[in-house]
Amino acid sequence: MAVENKKSFEESLKELEALVKQLENGDIELNQAVKKYQAGMELSEYCHTLLKEAEETIVKMMKDDNLVDFE
Amino acid sequence: MEQTYLTVTALTKYIKYKFDHDKHLRRIFLKGEISNFKHHSRGHFYFTLKDDGAQISAIMFATNANKVPFKPEDGMSVNVEGYISVYPQSGQYQIYVSSMNESGRGDLHVAYEQLKKKLTEKGLFDAVYKQPIPKYPKAIGVLTSPTGAAVRDIIHIVNRRFPLTNIIVYPTLVQGEYAKDSIVKQIKKANKDELVDVIILGRGGGSIEDLWPFNEEEVAYAIFESKLPIISSVGHETDFTISDFVSDLRAPTPSGGAEIAVPNQVDLLQYIGSLKERLNYNINHLVKRKSDILRNIEQSVVFRDPYRLTEKQTQQLLLLDEKLQLLSPKNKLDQYEKDLLNLRRRLENIIQKRVDYKRNQFDFAVSRLELLNPLSIMKKGYSVTMKNNEIIKSVEHIQQDEVIDVRFHDGQAKAKVLEIERMKK
Repeated sequence: MAVENKKSFEESLKELEALVKQLENGDIELNQAVKKYQAGMELSEYCHTLLKEAEETIVKMMKDDNLVDFE
Repeated sequence: MEQTYLTVTALTKYIKYKFDHDKHLRRIFLKGEISNFKHHSRGHFYFTLKDDGAQISAIMFATNANKVPFKPEDGMSVNVEGYISVYPQSGQYQIYVSSMNESGRGDLHVAYEQLKKKLTEKGLFDAVYKQPIPKYPKAIGVLTSPTGAAVRDIIHIVNRRFPLTNIIVYPTLVQGEYAKDSIVKQIKKANKDELVDVIILGRGGGSIEDLWPFNEEEVAYAIFESKLPIISSVGHETDFTISDFVSDLRAPTPSGGAEIAVPNQVDLLQYIGSLKERLNYNINHLVKRKSDILRNIEQSVVFRDPYRLTEKQTQQLLLLDEKLQLLSPKNKLDQYEKDLLNLRRRLENIIQKRVDYKRNQFDFAVSRLELLNPLSIMKKGYSVTMKNNEIIKSVEHIQQDEVIDVRFHDGQAKAKVLEIERMKK
């Protein structure tokens, strides 16, 4: 997948939303539209995967200026 | 001496007997502030009555509770009537309330209302200061007791709803005299650490005293000054604290706070699905629209009859061409050539005439000359006599027997003068 692994869920979702909006605007060259569409599909897949494959929430505790495992 | 040991039950029975038979305790009029009020599902009221120095458990059975015209709540000052007895199972003495009147609000509530008024006036609750809560926080700071139920609830809900969000627990005292400082300190610490995007500050339910740290002015200002958005989730649905008002968002409970702080992945998956559908719809729509446009263009007059496109221009061009040809130097040249030809012809004519004329003149002259030519006269029979190549014009010029030349038109002869005869004058 072309999407960078580092991209956060929020960034990806925002990008995806922006792409959908741009496509919805309609005033766009077909070439560009197809590129945006492909990018959008990849992003939606990526977001989906992020959620589906998310591990459990990591819980830490701030103890005397150090992050320690929470029990 | 052998000791007799009483059973707890026996002792309690004795104590209960004492309470029940004390005439002062049989009918009591008591005033105090309600705390820890619980409305049992069967309709009974369980609560504590207290003042600055002491407290007593109270119970009001449903039959009496139903007659209370107002909704008792924590902090309310009430006058009650009842009797004192012991509940053996808990070993507690308590007042069995038969009627209750409201006598005004408690001191803590007065303090709460006063602070609320003061901070409202100072603008701490103004909507303009409310910071937006991030939609998809990477990490949440949870400021609560690390051992309470609240932290468990929050972790559980965050994990269930949006496990991409991590949690950092800032262990905080949320009850008692040190709670105020602890809350302030941890709010500042979380802001300084900058490890989280949002703070959930809260604790589970309790009495107004338990929740009191969240009504402290210092806590209110710490929340107000926090750069990180704070979700306040203190106590139960019905509990309102100053923290709730000053924070960026109020959640009814810690669980509610967690639900506000993170999105629900089920909703998100659905949302992503809908975005995907929109992508599909839009690309299809776009392609259809573009092909419609293409078809329209293909069917346009210009494509069906491309000459139409240039018709006007062609006409213009023809017109211009005509004009141009009129203006062309070739025309001038032609004209000049014609003129030249004309002139030449005229010149030739003139010359011809002139030549003819001269010729005629010449011919005429020649014919006249011919007439004058002595030879031609001689042809008519005349001859010329000559002597020494000179024409003899008089008889005086000849002598008898002199030989003279006679010239004819076609020859000459020598003659001898035989006789001379002069004409008489």
